[in-house]
Amino acid sequence: MSSVADPVVLALRNPAALASLSLRQWEALIAQARRTNLLARIAFELDDFGSLPQVPPAPRVHLEAAKTLALAQADAVRREVAYIDGALAAAGFPVVLLKGAAYLIACLPAARGRLFSDIDILVPHGALANVEATLMLHGWHTSKTAAYDQRYYREWMHELPPLKHAKRQTLLDVHHAILPITARLKPDSTKLLAASRPLSGEPRLRVLAPVDMVLHSATHLFCNEDVGNNLRDLVDLDNLLGEFAKQESFWSRLIARAGELDLTRPLYYALRYAVRVLDTSVPPGVLRQADIGRPPSMLRTLMDALFLRTLLPGRATGRLASLARGSLYVRAHWLRMPPLLLAHHLTVKALRREPVTGNG
Amino acid sequence: MPSPSALRWRSVRPDAIAFREWDGEFVVRNEQSGSTHLLGALGGQVLHILLHADAALSSADIVIALGDEERPGYAPDKCATVDAILQEFQRLGLAQPESP
Amino acid sequence: MIVADLSYGELTSRLAYGGLRLRTGPVVTRIQSRLSNVAQGLALHYADHAVEDAQGFADFHVCVAPPRNLRRWVKPQVYFQFDGASPFLPLPADQAFPMLEWGLNWCVSHHCHQYLIVHAACVERSGLAVLLPGSPGSGKSTLCAALASRGWRLLSDELALLDLVTRNVVPLPRPISLKNASIAAIGRFVPDAKLGPPVHDTVKGSIAHMRPPADSVRRAEERARPRWITMPRYQSGAQARLVPLSKARAFMHLADHAFNYDVHGRRGFDLLAQVVDGCDCFDFRYSTLEDAVTVFDDMVRQV
Repeated sequence: MSSVADPVVLALRNPAALASLSLRQWEALIAQARRTNLLARIAFELDDFGSLPQVPPAPRVHLEAAKTLALAQADAVRREVAYIDGALAAAGFPVVLLKGAAYLIACLPAARGRLFSDIDILVPHGALANVEATLMLHGWHTSKTAAYDQRYYREWMHELPPLKHAKRQTLLDVHHAILPITARLKPDSTKLLAASRPLSGEPRLRVLAPVDMVLHSATHLFCNEDVGNNLRDLVDLDNLLGEFAKQESFWSRLIARAGELDLTRPLYYALRYAVRVLDTSVPPGVLRQADIGRPPSMLRTLMDALFLRTLLPGRATGRLASLARGSLYVRAHWLRMPPLLLAHHLTVKALRREPVTGNG
Repeated sequence: MPSPSALRWRSVRPDAIAFREWDGEFVVRNEQSGSTHLLGALGGQVLHILLHADAALSSADIVIALGDEERPGYAPDKCATVDAILQEFQRLGLAQPESP
Repeated sequence: MIVADLSYGELTSRLAYGGLRLRTGPVVTRIQSRLSNVAQGLALHYADHAVEDAQGFADFHVCVAPPRNLRRWVKPQVYFQFDGASPFLPLPADQAFPMLEWGLNWCVSHHCHQYLIVHAACVERSGLAVLLPGSPGSGKSTLCAALASRGWRLLSDELALLDLVTRNVVPLPRPISLKNASIAAIGRFVPDAKLGPPVHDTVKGSIAHMRPPADSVRRAEERARPRWITMPRYQSGAQARLVPLSKARAFMHLADHAFNYDVHGRRGFDLLAQVVDGCDCFDFRYSTLEDAVTVFDDMVRQV
């Protein structure tokens, strides 16, 4: 499946092959890795492999710079999670971290080299009003004030309109479900919350159970309108599977849970593409069992064409892909710029696009 | 509600603080908040005292440590100033009063 | 090979197809554009800059192009694209060259975390550098243009790149952007300045660029130690003078004006502290460029 057109996929599947890249090939790899939000990830992979010092100096500075940024963002996320924890400390309900912030605080390999644009948490639907009120008391404001936007989020999506902290300018997405109310699939959030796990060293914060983390990642990937981060999300999935497969009877629990939560379709796609694109290790028996979520073959052919286009950056050309990349780049990187520079940034505030809601 | 002077204060843990001083002014970076602050002479000294204290300190303790008159009662202004500094530290995340 | 070695036809051909691989200090950018004002701006302002060959490594891929929709022809607009995506809203087509300049700044300030990047002008004399952090209305670019035309080497107009290990300034000599009244002021002060055509009605008013002195471009590999931090403020009628600024306040100015101070965390704090250790720090008030240059020249002589 991998080809020269997909240097990022090559880098992820076979870091050793990078030793023979020419400068022009490095150039293509760095550009594509930046576009797919995987530059820091690749930098850490090379570091683990011990081959970062052998990268030619010109591309290497970009890998090092990406590492520096990712580490700084991880620190920023830890601080922000501490603030959120402090604000919701007196709450009587569980606060479950999702996606990137969860991987980071749970010290999972999927967190390495990640760039963050916001933090996502899951709370019970009944606690939503309380959570919103408490967060606003602690300085978070709603960031979408137009009535249409408010309705869009509250009535149709699975989250509050994104919250922004007034002083720190950080973004927080509060979810009550992992899919929009209007979606076809309806995984039961109560079950997700009930199965959530505490984090060692953290008295209050929780994360999803491993099988639920995988299913959430799969659902996010295959039911989400923001196509820009698809390869990054697939890499997350590959990491999570690699880590959790070490647990006893993980695979059978995963299959069972997918059935229980009505998520067999996203799981089918997740395993299919992880294997085809990233060569993820999935036992053949598991793939057969996951077949239960298989779509009709015509739909599958269509999905293959669509997803492989967005998952393989080398194939991603043309209008759809440039739209996809556009949505990727408008998301701001998530470290504070000093107030003076926010005010008179070189590029001038008027020039900047409004950031689209992040994906953690 | 205890009066400000009755509160006992602790700074953030010392290893979270980077500290530099030039000509009596200080710049301080707090790893916990990620923020950097400029402190005047008195503010810097108060923070320094808190960072090196074994126990939580009241503003009266701090006034003594600053090396002024031994009877805080005779230096209400200095106590009030230190109180104001401590409130500001709380706002900035550099120090917290201990829960009674 | 430098840009001036290319015929205009070769230049536009590279820009239209494979891209012009332009070196600016430590950064190589592949620039693509079919717009004539972009080609003309590059030909004028980057004449002395090196063009890299196709086998080398380019750090960034940028493109300034019109959209595919109606705005290609009706009240024409242009986009700045980075790796195929557009980080900014489009601008009127006559602003294509300033947009390229803003975009090139953005590439560096958003990605080059191998440096601590301060929003400051920087000039050098006798191996020693002055950092001029840029608040709005400071006149830093005007002052920078004046100094660069009177024997000071231009290290940068907007982005002072600090090496994380040596703390030296890494030059990034590029056109100096001048706004509104500064355009005429520099035109008078530097009669032989190479100024491009002004572009009007931008969000910053009227903008023109001054070509960097050839010597500054040729010596882009020579780094310099920061020796002064000077906060400029243009003040009509004011006599030019340096007022001592406390080091702690100078530190805060640098941190406030640094794009990626937070990215570097503790390391950034220590780096700026060490820079401040080694610098004399001032507020600088001035009204005439002649007086300003005199004060700066005196400042160097006193070392």
